[in-house]
Amino acid sequence: MLEVRGLTAGYEGGDVVHDVAFHVDRGEAVMIIGSNGAGKTTLFRSLIGLLTPSSGTVRFEGHDIAGLPAQRIVRLGVSFVPAERHLFPRMTVHENLALGSYPDRPDPDTMKRVMDLFPRLSERRRQRAGTMSGGEQQMLAMGRALMAKPRLIVLDEPTTGLAPKLAGEAYQALGELRDRGLTILVAEQQVPLAMALSDRGYVLENGAIRMEGTSAQLASDPDVQRAYLGVV
Amino acid sequence: MSDRLTEATGTSLVGGAEQRSSRSLPLLLVPILGAGAVLALVPLWLGDSGVLMGVAVLGVAFACYTIGFNVIFGSTGQLFLCVGALAGTGGYGAAILAEEVGLPLMVSIAAATIASSLIGGLLSFVAVRRSLGVIFTGIITLIFSLSFEALVLGLSSLTGGDTGRLIESGADTFLRDRIPPYYLMLALALLFLFVHGLLRRSHVGWAWRALRDDEVAAELAGVDVARYRVYAAMVGGAMLGLAGATFAFTEGRISPTTFGFAEVDVVVIVMLAFGGIGSLFGPTLGAVTFTIVDEVLIEFGQLRLVAYGALVIVLFLWIPRGVIPTISDLFQRRYRIGRTPAERGASPGPEAPGSEDRG
Amino acid sequence: MIANILDGIVLGLQFGLLAAGLTLVYGLGGVLNLAYGQMAVTAAMVALFAMDAGVPAFLAVLLALVAGGLAGLVLDLTVLRPVYRLHGEARVLLSLLLSLGVAFMVDGFLNWRYPLKALTLGIGGGPVEILGVPMRRGSVWASAITLLTFAALFAFFRYAALGRAVRSVIEDEEGARLVGIDPARMLRLILVLSGGLAALVAVTRSMVVAVDVQAGVSITVSALIVTVVGGLGSVAGALLAGIILGIVSIVAADLIGTYVSLIILLGAAAGTILVRPAGLLGVRD
Repeated sequence: MLEVRGLTAGYEGGDVVHDVAFHVDRGEAVMIIGSNGAGKTTLFRSLIGLLTPSSGTVRFEGHDIAGLPAQRIVRLGVSFVPAERHLFPRMTVHENLALGSYPDRPDPDTMKRVMDLFPRLSERRRQRAGTMSGGEQQMLAMGRALMAKPRLIVLDEPTTGLAPKLAGEAYQALGELRDRGLTILVAEQQVPLAMALSDRGYVLENGAIRMEGTSAQLASDPDVQRAYLGVV
Repeated sequence: MSDRLTEATGTSLVGGAEQRSSRSLPLLLVPILGAGAVLALVPLWLGDSGVLMGVAVLGVAFACYTIGFNVIFGSTGQLFLCVGALAGTGGYGAAILAEEVGLPLMVSIAAATIASSLIGGLLSFVAVRRSLGVIFTGIITLIFSLSFEALVLGLSSLTGGDTGRLIESGADTFLRDRIPPYYLMLALALLFLFVHGLLRRSHVGWAWRALRDDEVAAELAGVDVARYRVYAAMVGGAMLGLAGATFAFTEGRISPTTFGFAEVDVVVIVMLAFGGIGSLFGPTLGAVTFTIVDEVLIEFGQLRLVAYGALVIVLFLWIPRGVIPTISDLFQRRYRIGRTPAERGASPGPEAPGSEDRG
Repeated sequence: MIANILDGIVLGLQFGLLAAGLTLVYGLGGVLNLAYGQMAVTAAMVALFAMDAGVPAFLAVLLALVAGGLAGLVLDLTVLRPVYRLHGEARVLLSLLLSLGVAFMVDGFLNWRYPLKALTLGIGGGPVEILGVPMRRGSVWASAITLLTFAALFAFFRYAALGRAVRSVIEDEEGARLVGIDPARMLRLILVLSGGLAALVAVTRSMVVAVDVQAGVSITVSALIVTVVGGLGSVAGALLAGIILGIVSIVAADLIGTYVSLIILLGAAAGTILVRPAGLLGVRD
C-alpha cells in the first residue's frame, strides 16, 4: 500500500534522513522506532508532504506522492496525526472533527463512530480545542484524522505528553481500528506500546534504517532490548 | 536572488557588507574624504543656479537623513518609520528655541539635537522593553510620526501650522547664501559617515553585528542587546536632529511637508534600500542617485511615483540588500578577496533554498 | 454628545470594515498589504467612471466591488508570488515592501492622470432621526450596509464550510493542510474578499463624504492602525477597535480640537499596542 524508497530529506542545514526504504501492506500495523533526534518526525513530514524530500520515491496505492503538498496527499486516503497535533484551538471539538472530512460534509455515521471510540470527545463536543488537556487533544487529533475515512493513518509519536493511562487508551483505540481493517503506520519512542500494536517494525537511527523485522523479532533482539526496552 | 531573503529573520534585509579591516584609520578616512572631495565639486557645476543648488542642498540633507536611518535600521534592524519626525524635532525644535525662546542659534541646534537623540532612544527603549518585533516597531514609530505631524499642525501658534513658519535667526549670515549651506550640510554628512565608520569598527559595531546575526546568541555571549539598540537609536536620532536643525536654518522656512512622512521617510527608505542597508556608503550613493534621478524626471510630476514604485519592486526582488553590498559580494566571489584563508577554504555556493516554516 | 457618539459609530463602522479586509489577509497569510488604500481608491474611480458613462448607480457600485476583488486577485497572482516562498517575519517584510511599491505605482498613476477626481454617492432624501438626532441619510445607509456586511461575514465564517476552512487556516495552517485545505487557495479567496471589502468601504464612504484620488495613503494608514489595535487576524477585533477609535476620534475632536484629538487617538492606539501587542482580540502574533 505504501512504498518508500531511497527517501532523503532534511532542512537548510542538511539532510536528516538518508536513503530510507520501507513499506506498509494493507491491513498491517507498522512501527518506526527510534530515539529522539533519530529523524522520525522528519521522515513522516516528508512522507506526508509537509516537507519536500531531496530525493527518493513514495508510492501510495500506486500513486507517486513524493514531493506533492500535504493538502493533495491527504485527499488520496492517507491521514496524518502529527506529534504537535495542530488542532484548531479556538474552534470546538465538533468543528475540528467536522473539518476533518473537508471538502466533504462530515458523515454522521463516521462522526458517531469517532465519538464511540473516544467517549471523552463526545462529552466535550462544544468545548474549544485549545482548552482541553493533552490527552483529550490527542484523541481529538486522531478523531479528526479518522473523519476523512482514511485507508492509511500515520501517527507521529501519539503518546507525546500523555500520562501512561491515556497513552494506553490511545493505543487501545488504535488496536480497535487495526482490528477493523485500518492500516496503521506509527512512529514511537515508547516502544512497548507500539510493539504490542504492530505486526512489523523498523528501527531508525541517525536518519537511516538500521534494522527491520516482525515485532517478535525486534522484541527479542538484544540491541533493541537494550536501547528501547530498558533491558540492561 | 530571493535566496537572501530566505534567511527567515526580519533582519535578513539588513546586514551590510562585512567590515573587513577593523584597523587603520586611513582606510576609513580616505574613502570618506574622497567622496567628500568629489561632492565638493558640485557647486562648480551648479553654482550659478539657485534652484539647482537648492536641490543639491536638499540632496545632501537627505544623505544625512539616510545615514542616520542607516545607523538605526542598518546596524540593529530597528525599523524606525519616524525619520522625518526626528529630523523635524531637530528642525522645529531648534527654530522654536531660537525664535520664540530666544536662545542663541548654536545652543538651539544643540538642544534640539539632544532632544531628538533622547526621543530616538526612548522609542528604542520602549520597543525593546515590550519586545516589539520589526513590524510593531515600525507601527509604533509610524504612530509617532503621525502624532508629530498632528502636533506641528495643532500648535500652530508656535509652528505656523499648515503654512509653516519663517526662521529669522541666522538670516544675515552665510547660512542663507547660495553655496555655503551645501558645504555645511556636506560637512555634516562626512562627519556622520566618519562617526558611523568609527562606531562600526569599535566594540559597539561588534555588538551591533552580533545582535543582528543572532540576538539570542548575542545575549548569551554577554551582549546587552537592549543597550546597544538604544545606543544606535540615540546616535541615529542625534544625527537626524542635527541634520534637520541645520537644514532648517539654511532654508529659512519650514513647514509640515519639510519633515513629513511621505516626503522624508518614504524617500529615505528607498534611498537606503537602493544604496545598501547597513553599508557605510550606501546612504550616500542612494541619496545622490535619487536626487539626480528625481531632478531629471521632475517634469513628469506624479508619474515619477510610478517609476519609483516599480523600482522598489525590482529592488526588493532582485537586489534586496542594495547596490553596494550586492556589488561587493559579486566582487568578493569573483576574486575571493577580503576573505581569511579559513573562509576561502570553506567557500559555500549559493544558499540552498530552504522553505522550512519558521513562522 | 449623542450626536457625536452616533457620528463616531458611523465612522467607526467604516474603520472596522476597512480593517477587516486588512486583518483577514494578515491573519491568514501573514501578508501585510500596503496597497490596500489604493485598491479602495481604484474601485471608487471605477464606480465614478461608470456613472459618468451613464451606468446606473447600483450597477456602478457592483462594478466597483468587482474591480476591488479583481485587484486582490491580481495582487495575489503577481506581486505576492515571491512573497509566498518566504515565511514568518521575512514574508511580512517583503509583502510590505512590494505592496508599497504597488501603492506608489497606483497612486502615482491615478494622481497624474486624474488629479482632481472624487467619488460622491449622493443619497437623496432628508435626514433620518436616530435616537432623536437627525442623521444624514447617506450616513445611515452607509452604516446599515456596513453592519449587514459584517453580519454576512460573521455568518460566513461561522456557518459556511468555506468560511470554516478559512478560519482553520488562520488557526493553524499546518493543521488545515492536514485536512486537505490548500492555504494558498484560501489566501487567494481572502485577498479577493479584502479587495471587495475595500471597494465597499470606499463606496459607502462616498455616501458620507467625497472619496478622492489622494485618499489612498490615509485609508491604508487608518486601516493599519485599526487593524493593529483590534488584533491581527480578528474580524471581531477590527469591528470593536474601529468603533472605539471612531467614537474617540469624533468625541475628542468636538471636545478638544481636531489635532489634539488625533494625537489622543494615535496615543490610544499606541498604548493598546504596547500593553497588548496581540491587539484587543488578536489571534496571530
